[in-house]
Amino acid sequence: MDTFLQIVANGLMLGGLFAIVAVGLTLIFGIVKVINFAHGEFLMVGMYLSFLLSTGLDVHPYLTAAAVAPALFVLGALTQRLLIQPLMSARDEHVQIFATVGLSTALMNLALLIFGADIANTPAHGVRSQVMLGEVRILTGQLWVFAAAVALVIGLQLFMKKTRTGRAIRATAQNRAAARLMGINDKFIYILTFGIGAACVGLGSSLIAPLYPTSPTIGTYFVLIAFVCVVLGGLGSIPGAFFGALVIGLVDALSGFYIGSDLREAVVFTIFLLILILKPSGLFGTRMNLSHVSP
Amino acid sequence: MTETTMTRASDTPMTAHRLGLIAVAVLLAGLVAVPVAVGDQFVYHIFITICIFAALSTAWNIVGGYAGQLSLGHAIFYGIGGYAGVILVNLGISPWIGMFAGAAVAVVAAIVVSWPCFRLHGPFFALATIAFLEVFRVLALHFRELTGGATGLMIPLKIGWEWMVFRERLPALLIAFGMLLVCLAVAWAIRSHRLGFYLVATRERESAAKAAGVGTVKVRLMAVAVSAALSAMVGTFHAMYLTFIEPESMFSLQFSIQIAMFALIGGIGTVWGPLLGAVLLVPITEFARGALGSEAIGLHGFVYGVVLMLVVLFLPNGIMGLVHRFTAAPGKTVGEQAAPVAAAPRSAVPREAGREVMRIEGLQKHFGGLHVTNDVGFTLREGEILGVIGPNGAGKTTVFNMLSGFLKPDEGKVSVLSPSGEWQQPVTPGDFASLGVGRTFQIVQPFAAMTVEENIMVGAFHRHPHVGDAREAARETAHRMGLGPYLNAEASSLTIGGLKRLEVARVMAMEPRILLLDEVMAGINQTDVRRAVDLMLSIRDTGVSIIAIEHVMQAVMSLSDRVIVINSGQIIAQGDPHDVVRDEHVIEAYLGKDFTHA
Amino acid sequence: MKLKSLLTATAAAALLAGAAHADVKFGALYPFSGGLALLGEESFRGVEIAVDEINAAGGIKGEQIELVRGDAVDNNQAIGEARRLISREGVKAILGTYSSSRSIAASQVAELSGIPYFELGAVADEVTGRDLKYLFRTNPTAETMGIMTIDMIVDEIAPGLGVAPEDLVIGVIHEDSAYGTSVAGHQERYGSEKGLNIATVQGYPTSTVDMSSLVLDLKDRGVNIVLQTSYQNDSVLFLNQSAEAGFEPDAIIGGGGGYSLTATAEAVGDKMDGVLDVDFTQYAVNTEFTPGLEDFLAAYQAKYGEDPRSGHSLNNYVGAMAVLEGIGAGEGFEPDQIVAAAKAIDIPSGATAAGYGVHFGEHNQNDRAMMMGMQWQDGKLVTVYPRDAAVAEFQIGD
Repeated sequence: MDTFLQIVANGLMLGGLFAIVAVGLTLIFGIVKVINFAHGEFLMVGMYLSFLLSTGLDVHPYLTAAAVAPALFVLGALTQRLLIQPLMSARDEHVQIFATVGLSTALMNLALLIFGADIANTPAHGVRSQVMLGEVRILTGQLWVFAAAVALVIGLQLFMKKTRTGRAIRATAQNRAAARLMGINDKFIYILTFGIGAACVGLGSSLIAPLYPTSPTIGTYFVLIAFVCVVLGGLGSIPGAFFGALVIGLVDALSGFYIGSDLREAVVFTIFLLILILKPSGLFGTRMNLSHVSP
Repeated sequence: MTETTMTRASDTPMTAHRLGLIAVAVLLAGLVAVPVAVGDQFVYHIFITICIFAALSTAWNIVGGYAGQLSLGHAIFYGIGGYAGVILVNLGISPWIGMFAGAAVAVVAAIVVSWPCFRLHGPFFALATIAFLEVFRVLALHFRELTGGATGLMIPLKIGWEWMVFRERLPALLIAFGMLLVCLAVAWAIRSHRLGFYLVATRERESAAKAAGVGTVKVRLMAVAVSAALSAMVGTFHAMYLTFIEPESMFSLQFSIQIAMFALIGGIGTVWGPLLGAVLLVPITEFARGALGSEAIGLHGFVYGVVLMLVVLFLPNGIMGLVHRFTAAPGKTVGEQAAPVAAAPRSAVPREAGREVMRIEGLQKHFGGLHVTNDVGFTLREGEILGVIGPNGAGKTTVFNMLSGFLKPDEGKVSVLSPSGEWQQPVTPGDFASLGVGRTFQIVQPFAAMTVEENIMVGAFHRHPHVGDAREAARETAHRMGLGPYLNAEASSLTIGGLKRLEVARVMAMEPRILLLDEVMAGINQTDVRRAVDLMLSIRDTGVSIIAIEHVMQAVMSLSDRVIVINSGQIIAQGDPHDVVRDEHVIEAYLGKDFTHA
Repeated sequence: MKLKSLLTATAAAALLAGAAHADVKFGALYPFSGGLALLGEESFRGVEIAVDEINAAGGIKGEQIELVRGDAVDNNQAIGEARRLISREGVKAILGTYSSSRSIAASQVAELSGIPYFELGAVADEVTGRDLKYLFRTNPTAETMGIMTIDMIVDEIAPGLGVAPEDLVIGVIHEDSAYGTSVAGHQERYGSEKGLNIATVQGYPTSTVDMSSLVLDLKDRGVNIVLQTSYQNDSVLFLNQSAEAGFEPDAIIGGGGGYSLTATAEAVGDKMDGVLDVDFTQYAVNTEFTPGLEDFLAAYQAKYGEDPRSGHSLNNYVGAMAVLEGIGAGEGFEPDQIVAAAKAIDIPSGATAAGYGVHFGEHNQNDRAMMMGMQWQDGKLVTVYPRDAAVAEFQIGD
């Protein structure tokens, strides 16, 4: 029983980790309606930045978020402005896909070029110390990640529902033309949203860096998992992405233990496929968000 | 996205088209001639690699380009072919047979994988294919006894044509080249026959394609099956060439993306695009790797990613797109687009309506809590023009959708009289189309990537499966509709009036018995309205029954034999046009209570 | 034409890279770019040092050796480069390749062309399991690694813990590529033959980001000896996450890869202390058993300005030396003459810088090839097994 509880705890913590990455992705997709294949590379860039700042200035990695989040905001905003915006009126969706695939390849290889294939380990500064909840062990760093994920979800929801800018963003997502008629600058909204989505990942990366080794290819794995969480939770739904991530974290941990480590990925992707095929609106999504499916 | 329009040579400047074909022939010949001439093993290897990539990209393009389903997991089929070949060779069976076994398995896999995923739009279909690829790779690693697991599988080095293993390079090049020719031939054949038209139509506007009687799922499954079979066969050959395979390289996401990229850079959706992409990029990649690769790890990949982004931003139609800009014959687009069409003089006496051809009974429809259609029922007689009017938001198009298979009523029945005299209850757009019911759409849905002629052909194919016959029928219909001079223009270049006429022409090419017209007069000027009225009358005179939703009163009054008024989902008046417009309920619906006594 | 310039450029590069008088050419086929480039380059350096040493002493058969590089970035490229080296460059033999997959693919080509192929570093069994006439391998294999791991357990670890070997509960985990899978397979097979209790064998994706379920599984089964074959990322993950889960096996034995790298030790800190490793000979070893090691280190530092980044260079150096000198002692450079010369090589154990001898036995595999057992002590990786090569004592049972 203890083991089972530990697995569940591990799964939830892993879920918190996935959630931080997924939340940014669902925001970008829900509003800008673009699938950002380079999202995992955003995480990777953030982790490397945290690593550099943390080791270079010898500070706690969490503090680096103050610089990493804004830096990634800029990266996201630039991506929207320079890469996606010119393509938004393209008749074919494939151009956008290829664009972000190209960005992903370029970023990954750039990291390889600059840092080499070796892994980079951000010093833990105490976040790897343990906390006992009953018989279950959890790292303090993992709890911080989980807390940050929850805070992020709540924060974003408040932002979207209560602030003027948030409403403007939601309006643009629901009806771009009408929003423009209301005087909302849709181009600016998209840039802002992409930036916020990337900044979320930036925040997350500072929290993740001391927990996991960083390498240029770490993004690929995370982006696929993030997509699974996002689809599971319902596209564009921020709380959905959070709960979707928790579910996937649990599935991953449980299947890793009970089925076998080599088949974990297969289990997660099979669930992904089943959701896409059988219930594409996701577990928590509404019918409104079915732009990715034909009736 | 422009296409290689497959109009006949006699219609486009002969020189450009002919030159194009000659250039391609020279290129293909060069793929064999150059390595033979140079005689160097390494050069042979490069050209064999070009042929393999070009073949795979061409096969991919059938799904990714023609059908518009962006598959980023095509390595599944390539890998299946490779493993089938190697496993069978190790059991003593020649890869020539193994190739077909692999293709068969790949086709099954393709259908199983794609069919549930077709409903997914662009990026989600791509994600699903990636997920399937990963699952295959993990399973290939797991089932070690079958696939050799991570350590891979080898073939015994038996030399000879039977085993596809050679000491010299020329035979391997010939096989690779042969496969490339097969892929190109298949791609060209699809594009220039009905299947190709149907695929492009499905890609462009699925609803309009369905309304034109295209089995959109069926044609995409065919495309996927063909593509998978070809990819698997190339995979078998490549496995023989490599003599060693492993899951990592056979089910590789990188590789899948590369294949798609070559097609993109060469020109997605064109026949020769992928070939050009491979011919250009494989040598450049080799050269870049040689020059940059050992300098710094990652530089070569970085350049790759940047090039991809630049191509997408500045050259989304690829190389073929560039070629087209310089060589395409501009169709006539200037000038009147809704030419007057002679209509048979209308008899002064209202025509006698014939037997009933369509019965609508008790239709009900709810959208969530909204009751959009409330007990709608009426009949359509042969040779009749029935006008449907009502204020905005009354639910007219919803009714139309239920009359053409695009929406299923919650209750009620729609029955259509078949040509042989029985009453049938069609369900899908395809069913309606085969019973001879055609429709247009409120918002025009042209197949923008095709010419006017090709658009109409999509409808004509419904009656004439043969390309030649369909073209003839399309031309004839175009002339009848007054679009004759614009046959070679890109559909996207027409004005709104022309587009509406094109929509009608397309559906007329299907030779329907019942025509559902949704606001064909909307947004066009007075002169065009008069012409459109004449056109509709001439259509009716050929025996077609028409139901027309209209707002333009002038047209309604002069066209309709009968009029139905729908308001808030219910029929509030039916009958002779002049009586209906004086009905107080109708006036109230349009103008409000205050005007009923005006 | 682009191709012509590519070929010219490569030929020019080859000329520049090689010795002054290009007399006899040998191909060096390694992954110089792509994911495997770091250790591919490292492996090649060993060959370069060997060639420098031989050329300085007059070359072989009076001719200077010229190395022509081929980049085996993926399997398709590997066979292309092999063809280029053979037909365009006219190399007499190919040395390579670090990666087992590249080696298998490229050597099939060499075999078809009748050119000898000397594998100096790839460990998968299949490399020499195919009975090719022209393929020879000097380095120890996955099988050697598996066997030595088990021997170490039986001979040193069990006694050190004061228990019978059969009473230990062994868990084998590995990354899922050819490398991890083959080593783990041998550990399982040989361990069972010796009557050991192998409780579980589990693979995981190389790029995994979390191993906590695996750790829990091992803990649940009561595993007290863990054998892990892994790269850097997963070694760090496992060591960290085991400690954090309170899983403290009596011994952890790595199979090379991440376990031999200083970067890993730096990443996990104290947890590395006492961790064991079986791998190619590294540098803290009893030099009486490995004559020439110090000279090799000096030559490496002089040529590259840094310490070797792993034991791959040393291993390739030893293999290249043995092979090239063996060919020099033979009759000529024709393929069959080279094969005959190779078969005649007979260097005893303890006579090379890596400590193992060279003699090509069954399947043309060096039957004297040996790995070393090592342990991390105070942040340094020192050889502890076999006794002749050890510079430190086993530290078991803490």
